[in-house]
Amino acid sequence: MLSVMSRILLMIVAVFLPLLASAADSTEVKPLRPVTSAYMVDAGGARLVNTYLTPLKYSGWATAFNYERMQAMKFSPDNWVMQLRGGITLNRSVNPSGNATMWRLTGDFSWGMMHRWRLPYGITLAAGGSTGIDLGCLYNTRNGNNPVAVEAAWTVNLTGYAAWNCHVGRLPVTLRYQPVLPVTGVFFSPEYGELFYEISLGDDDGLAHAAWWGNYFRMENLVTADLHFGATSLRVGFRSNVISTKVNNITTRVINSSVVIGVAGEWLSLRPGKGVDPAARIISALY
Amino acid sequence: MNRLYLILSLLLALIVTSSCHKIEEWDDNPRGNFEALWTIMDEHYCFFSEKDVDWNEVHDRYSVKISDEMTAKELFFVCADMLNELRDGHTNLSSSFNTSYYRAWWSDYPDNYSSRLVEQYYLNFNYLSTGGIDYGILPQNIGYIRYDSFSSPIGEGNLDQILMYLNTCTGLVIDIRNNGGGNMTNVEKLVSRFITERTLAGYISHKTGPGHDDFSEPRAYYYDPAEKGRIMWGKPVVVLAGRGTFSAANNFVSIMQYIPLCHIVGATTGGGSGMPFNSELPNGWGVRFSACPVLDAKGLPTEAGIDPSPGCDVGFDPHAAVDGTDTVLDFAISLLTAGV
Repeated sequence: MLSVMSRILLMIVAVFLPLLASAADSTEVKPLRPVTSAYMVDAGGARLVNTYLTPLKYSGWATAFNYERMQAMKFSPDNWVMQLRGGITLNRSVNPSGNATMWRLTGDFSWGMMHRWRLPYGITLAAGGSTGIDLGCLYNTRNGNNPVAVEAAWTVNLTGYAAWNCHVGRLPVTLRYQPVLPVTGVFFSPEYGELFYEISLGDDDGLAHAAWWGNYFRMENLVTADLHFGATSLRVGFRSNVISTKVNNITTRVINSSVVIGVAGEWLSLRPGKGVDPAARIISALY
Repeated sequence: MNRLYLILSLLLALIVTSSCHKIEEWDDNPRGNFEALWTIMDEHYCFFSEKDVDWNEVHDRYSVKISDEMTAKELFFVCADMLNELRDGHTNLSSSFNTSYYRAWWSDYPDNYSSRLVEQYYLNFNYLSTGGIDYGILPQNIGYIRYDSFSSPIGEGNLDQILMYLNTCTGLVIDIRNNGGGNMTNVEKLVSRFITERTLAGYISHKTGPGHDDFSEPRAYYYDPAEKGRIMWGKPVVVLAGRGTFSAANNFVSIMQYIPLCHIVGATTGGGSGMPFNSELPNGWGVRFSACPVLDAKGLPTEAGIDPSPGCDVGFDPHAAVDGTDTVLDFAISLLTAGV
């Protein structure tokens, strides 16, 4: 009888042991996932061509304001991070003779997730994908009926980064390189000789195009160094943006190369009245 | 592992090869600028077939006139002469010292309009002006509208005022002789006062590639009547036109010719039915050219001009003008007073 009772007890323990274990998990202190955000200003040079507007290569300056937000994901904070990026870019360029001006104003927004691997010596590698939209236009001031070339695209991108937390003297520094490479999507282009007047009359045939590297190549390369001065970091770096598209016999090429300067930092949002558990781990998205 | 290397190599090769779409470039010298101009026109101009121009033959004929020693002005006039082979009033070359025009589309024809004649002998210098339009009432109780250029913006309120002022008239003359064109939106705004339902205005197409015959299917475009509450005109109308009626004004005639109770009086219009594009040469000169052909509501080309309505081909008699008679306007008045 005792033997039977012992067996029943053992079965009950066996059934409820995982539940007890999960109950113990639920009381585990949740890690803190600070948001790494950065505000950056870019300034540099630009080369623009759009054969709908002109066959000539224009050169000039580029300036941009960019925002970046990174955070470890809730479901697997050690291994996955999300990144939200948004920015606005302005170019002014002139033709080789200097007697015509072309402006470019674009905005972009993207969201993505990356899996990361923490390696020895403070090195982190991450790889993943993102999706985003770009919207803007080129405006050539000398043209009458064809003054504007609209840029509009929704893309799915490959992205990732390599980061190294190190010291320069006694100053902690995070070095990072991040490329973004669209692999597919949809983008806009008028037909070869189509006026926007025609489009305004309702002719919307052939305006949307599936993007692939043969007709839509775009790559952004960003190298930054975050110099950690206490809670706030000074970000300096370099960004290059290359866009090369060819569709409907219209070729567009934009090359922006800029130095980057900005402010980055980590912040936590806490519920009022609730403190921070001192036992909570802090899982940074970048640093 | 080997397969991974192969995939990565292919990806890298694809990125490198696709990252740079070729763009044709020319040197900034007489030869380079000449070739750039010829190529831009070769790939974008829309009336080679309609005007039966052998552009390759034109290249050969003018290419021999180009030398590295020629001055900018010499180059300009050779290039301008080459463009004139297209016989197109919408095609110009612009430099800091000159803008070329093909003038023969109107200079080879007699002028059929004198503003002084109308203002002095028909309006007695007693007329109103608003929104780029002069208007008044002729002694035969015929309304008269003079619109010099479709570049002058017209407001809906201006048109209401004009048509309200003329509403007791038995007919209306719209004088667009020597109107060299302007904005298509002004054409639409004016036409919208003479139609009572959605109206086929014509067809428009564009080039789809650099080949001379690479065109999209002509696409119909429509104009709607002015919004409710606006003053409309439903009585007989005569549009006065001539060789100087060009571009957007030509387009206005191409639409009005099919509107009931409307007659086109005067001479064949100047054409200019290709909507122009702009481009430029390595030395900074601008070039404008016809790029998108516009057809009338029957799908007919109007680049060579639009003939007056049957029986309404009326010449302007300069001798009669000396005596204060505009023979074209007189014909229009007689047509309207006869109750066409």
